[in-house]
Amino acid sequence: MTGSPKVRRSWLLCPVSHSERVSDAPAAGGDVIVLDLAEFVAEAGKPAARESLSELLVPAKSTGAEVFVQIDPELMLADLSASVWPGLDGIVVSRAETPEQVAAIDAIISDLESRRGMLPGSVELVLCLETALGNHNGYEVATASSRTWGLSLGRADLVMDLRPEPSGEIHLMQYLMQRLVTLASATGTVPLGAWWRFPDRGLLATPANTLAAAQRGRAIGFHGSFCVQPDQVPPLNAGFTPPESDVAAAHGLCEAYASATASGTGAVVLVDDRVLTPDIVRQAANTIALAEACSTRDRSKAAAVEGIPMPVP
Amino acid sequence: MASTPRRLKRSGLTMPVVTPRFINNAWHRGCDYINMDLEDSVPPRLKDVARNLIRESISVVNKGGADAVCRINHDLMEADLNAVVWPGLMMVNYPKAEYAHEIQRMDGIITRLEAERGIRPGTVEIGANIETAVGVANAYEIVTASSRVMDFGGASGYDMSRDLGVEMFVGFDQFVYGKGEVELAARAAGREPHAVPFTPNITGSVSDPDRAFAEADAARKCGFRIGGGLHPAVVEPQIRGFAATDDEISDAMWVLQEYRKLDRTGETWVQVDVASVDREGSPRPMAADSYLGRHRVIDRYEAARAEELLQWRSRCQERDQEKAEAVARVNAAEAAESPG
Repeated sequence: MTGSPKVRRSWLLCPVSHSERVSDAPAAGGDVIVLDLAEFVAEAGKPAARESLSELLVPAKSTGAEVFVQIDPELMLADLSASVWPGLDGIVVSRAETPEQVAAIDAIISDLESRRGMLPGSVELVLCLETALGNHNGYEVATASSRTWGLSLGRADLVMDLRPEPSGEIHLMQYLMQRLVTLASATGTVPLGAWWRFPDRGLLATPANTLAAAQRGRAIGFHGSFCVQPDQVPPLNAGFTPPESDVAAAHGLCEAYASATASGTGAVVLVDDRVLTPDIVRQAANTIALAEACSTRDRSKAAAVEGIPMPVP
Repeated sequence: MASTPRRLKRSGLTMPVVTPRFINNAWHRGCDYINMDLEDSVPPRLKDVARNLIRESISVVNKGGADAVCRINHDLMEADLNAVVWPGLMMVNYPKAEYAHEIQRMDGIITRLEAERGIRPGTVEIGANIETAVGVANAYEIVTASSRVMDFGGASGYDMSRDLGVEMFVGFDQFVYGKGEVELAARAAGREPHAVPFTPNITGSVSDPDRAFAEADAARKCGFRIGGGLHPAVVEPQIRGFAATDDEISDAMWVLQEYRKLDRTGETWVQVDVASVDREGSPRPMAADSYLGRHRVIDRYEAARAEELLQWRSRCQERDQEKAEAVARVNAAEAAESPG
């Protein structure tokens, strides 16, 4: 698994301007709640949304979710000033495009952390490469700040106006997804996304389609995805958790490999018509570790619901 | 949102300028542009002859309203440009583009020729086509090398397949990476990507009208606006494939109507139950594009697409009218000249 072992499978976007959406969000059971100032808040509602934000951070964590705020980089100073308060786990940068922009965001956050009694470097960044320029500059953007934890294509299908091909695949997205997963691996960050297909649009889909998109997404290297509706959260959590059958198979591979190497068979082992190499076994061990981390994360959220404080793993 | 090109290029025929019957008949094919070729379809021994034909051929191919375009040779750039940049030429197609300095050199030569030959500065566009791995690697630098680059694409086709050593006619997209890089570079530079969604072609046919329609239809639905081909049989299907249908226009009008309502609410998006708004006499949503079967999302992205589609239809109609009038003028002139 690349980067941090933090389990962040589901990222529920909630417009800060909609108090009922925000207050209902914790009940959805997401790993992360993203309080949105950028995409789903009308221009006229932004000042009021910013004013209310600091009071929403702690209540949003009532069921054990982490809390990020999505900002508009064109309004970075106002959005960050409203967002960076104790209790904030990170910032999602919509339409991230240039390294200079990310460096400027990093500097503002550092200043706010210092002035507001927060641990330096505690606020992480997830960068949404939603524009063509942002994707083109992906490597430079991803390495512009040590705070960057994750990369996503966000709503690139809408922002870049990418539409379904006759096959049902969204034009250019397979290329962009592979590019993002490669960039994330190269920069030690975590790729976030799901493999959406028509008629899904803009992170919006039925629960069944969301589950399928998450499962396909996990298969090509994503670790979690954003979504818009609360009913998409359970399928994202499920889709990005290794299924029990995979975990059982992984245990079987690890045990067979351990047994075979202990008996002196060598580094490459044939077990049940499969060749096992150290890389394959490491991949299996990663699956087991991820499943355990997901399980721990779920127990932590369940404890939070019961009112038992537990640290986020 | 799809960016609309300065001049419409829904359909175009590429033809050797040394073949008089192609050139003389091109004007009534109904194309948006005619691409007079100096490159692959002209043998080396005829390059000089071909160059000398371009100036007079410009007015032959564009008399029916088509724009005149010329594909030059990568390795004979300066000589070719001197022969083709004349009043009436809309664009120079540059094949096998590999480095930004090639485009910058072209720009300089074209700028000089425009000045010397009384062509308004900046008139002649450059179409840069990527056909090698080196071109893919330098895509962004190439597309941003000159503001004349208005048409940018490639990373597929015969030359690319030969450069990469891959097969040409297969049932899957063997050029995903290169095409992605080129399209991303065009989009990042704010230029019109010359691309189409992948549709399998295992026969290599260049004259199949059904395939031409399917490809143009898919391209339009993906937001692309540029087509072209080699055989007259594909012109009409391409024009038809790039045309917005009546249902799509009705849908676009409905989307804008709903978006205007949304704008007054302070919300940024809404899901509309399609069944509840399907009334006779009003713009209607298209069920086929529905989300969750019966709901449609209305937001700024859908509104932008709808707006672009309405503008696209309007521009297509204007262009078709322009070409029809040009053809009518030619026919009238020929009738007046004919004896009896």
